[in-house]
Amino acid sequence: MIMDNNNKKDYAKQGEYLRQEMMAVSAARLLRNEMVLVGFGLPMIVAILAKYTNAPELIMMTEAGVYNAKPEHTPLCVADCRFSYKTSWYGTPVELLGAVLPTRRADLAMLGGAQVDKYGNLNSTCIGNYLKPKKRLPGSGGACDFAALANRFLIIIEHDKRHFVDTVDYLTSPGWVCKKFPENKMVRRESLGMWGGPEAAISTMGVMKFHPETKEMYVESYYADLGVHAEEIKNNTGFDIDVSRAKPAIPPTYEELDLIRNKIDPEHFIVPKFDASKVAR
Amino acid sequence: MTKIKTIQEAVKLIKDGDQILTGGWTVIRRPMAAAHEIIRQGKKNLHIVCGTAGTDTDLLVGAGCLAIGEQAYVGSEKFGPAYNFQRAVAEGPEVSGFTYDDNSLLFAWLRIQAAAMGVPFLPTTSLLGSDILNPEYDTLKDMRGKNPKLAKKKYVTMKDPFFEGREVILVPAIKPDVAIIHAQEGSKDGTICIKNCPFGDRIVAMSAPVTIVTVEKIVSNEEMTKHTAENILPGMYVTAVVEMPYGAHPTQMPHYYDNDPWFYKEYQANAKSKDTFTKFVKEWILDTKDHQGYLAKLGEGRLQAIKADPVCGYNPTMERKV
Repeated sequence: MIMDNNNKKDYAKQGEYLRQEMMAVSAARLLRNEMVLVGFGLPMIVAILAKYTNAPELIMMTEAGVYNAKPEHTPLCVADCRFSYKTSWYGTPVELLGAVLPTRRADLAMLGGAQVDKYGNLNSTCIGNYLKPKKRLPGSGGACDFAALANRFLIIIEHDKRHFVDTVDYLTSPGWVCKKFPENKMVRRESLGMWGGPEAAISTMGVMKFHPETKEMYVESYYADLGVHAEEIKNNTGFDIDVSRAKPAIPPTYEELDLIRNKIDPEHFIVPKFDASKVAR
Repeated sequence: MTKIKTIQEAVKLIKDGDQILTGGWTVIRRPMAAAHEIIRQGKKNLHIVCGTAGTDTDLLVGAGCLAIGEQAYVGSEKFGPAYNFQRAVAEGPEVSGFTYDDNSLLFAWLRIQAAAMGVPFLPTTSLLGSDILNPEYDTLKDMRGKNPKLAKKKYVTMKDPFFEGREVILVPAIKPDVAIIHAQEGSKDGTICIKNCPFGDRIVAMSAPVTIVTVEKIVSNEEMTKHTAENILPGMYVTAVVEMPYGAHPTQMPHYYDNDPWFYKEYQANAKSKDTFTKFVKEWILDTKDHQGYLAKLGEGRLQAIKADPVCGYNPTMERKV
């Protein structure tokens, strides 16, 4: 294929973009014209990017009560009035979390975390024993409710053995095989009467999906142009992960990069500034 | 009859050991000046139960005012982690005197809604699969049944008795003594107006028998009737209205002022250790005596720098990376 820098639909080349940009692009391509509950950070960048590209009819909502956000400046949290400016309606958290979610009106949520396991269970509560943690984190916020009640969710997370673990220290947000109490045993989420579940985990190395039967995570694609290969993902994952189906990821287009850098996060609150001299080739 | 009070009079309504909750959202429209007065009056052993906690909870933990927290999130978003909260939880209650139990956001908000409705509990289909339901992780277990402000159980599971019989989780109401919110405008009859997203502040105020509302500006009762749809509370739910310009600083007050990134930077740097934070609280809260003193210390230049555009609600040109 002939690449042309002047044509924004063309794909960027090696050394022309960052991992965070590749993550945002990989996730945004999974979004459709649908109702999305947006969390702060990269998920917000992902949703706005999708709205500018493949999903112009997407509706961005936040648990703080914002509906159909079209921010003109990068918000610093989901309740920032940069999010609620020029929206058509304000809800309460009881309505967004307690009415929109349980009646299956939220098609997609995006969640981050400090740890993820092979079933897509997420921990955003603590590192170490919950009762005497090594490090306390902010906690669930709406994450547990999003994971339990959205029609599907995406995981957006760093990729190394500290983040991709065999067992999460605290199961904040339920994935495909999660906990049943009081027995404290791992069961399929359907057996608890739950719908939804994680569709993919988008990491700093690639995109992981879940096997339709075993519900275990496998590598779908790796960021080849960023120097990642499938074996490296295996070596940086704290559980045995199937890489047999892995293929190179499709790089960002110049249009996608231009939107992230110049329109969505020009002050670089979330996505660092691209510096060609610092990018490893 | 007027509901207008001074902040000193209003905060005297809070007693040591009370269960409280605050309005706003993490780093937006939080009743910070009221939290400062709680610290100045030396309130102890408070039990905080708000859904989306933020800078005010971290401050109250760091100043030693809190004994129990039942919340879903404690942090200051992009401005950084809640260092005082993190330290208190990691030290454990024996050292910090603070016991914390995790709710999810919906869990927390349904508990507030139940209190507002005067019902003992509400059901939800959320929470299944999560360690939030793990009985071994109920940090308040030993206090349940003894402390009348705590539910005897964290939650109860039941089968829907009316329709298909799916499992639901019943979450208990909170039992607050005092709610505190910060709004843009209020009038002496207790009508309260929130411009821009009101979050759940209406429910917060309705959940408690006593509600303190600090406002940027007191306007006439008649003025409030010109924008009825923006008024979130009638006087029957409001005990005290206190005029506190910049009463949410350093959090954002839509249409009045933006987050103060310079103040957050100083706060976060000091919150990393107990010693530096104790000095910070003395310097900024105890030694400034009152809100006027606090604003004088901040200085006119800072107050001007964070001023919001009255139309979009924030400051579109302010440097936010400091």
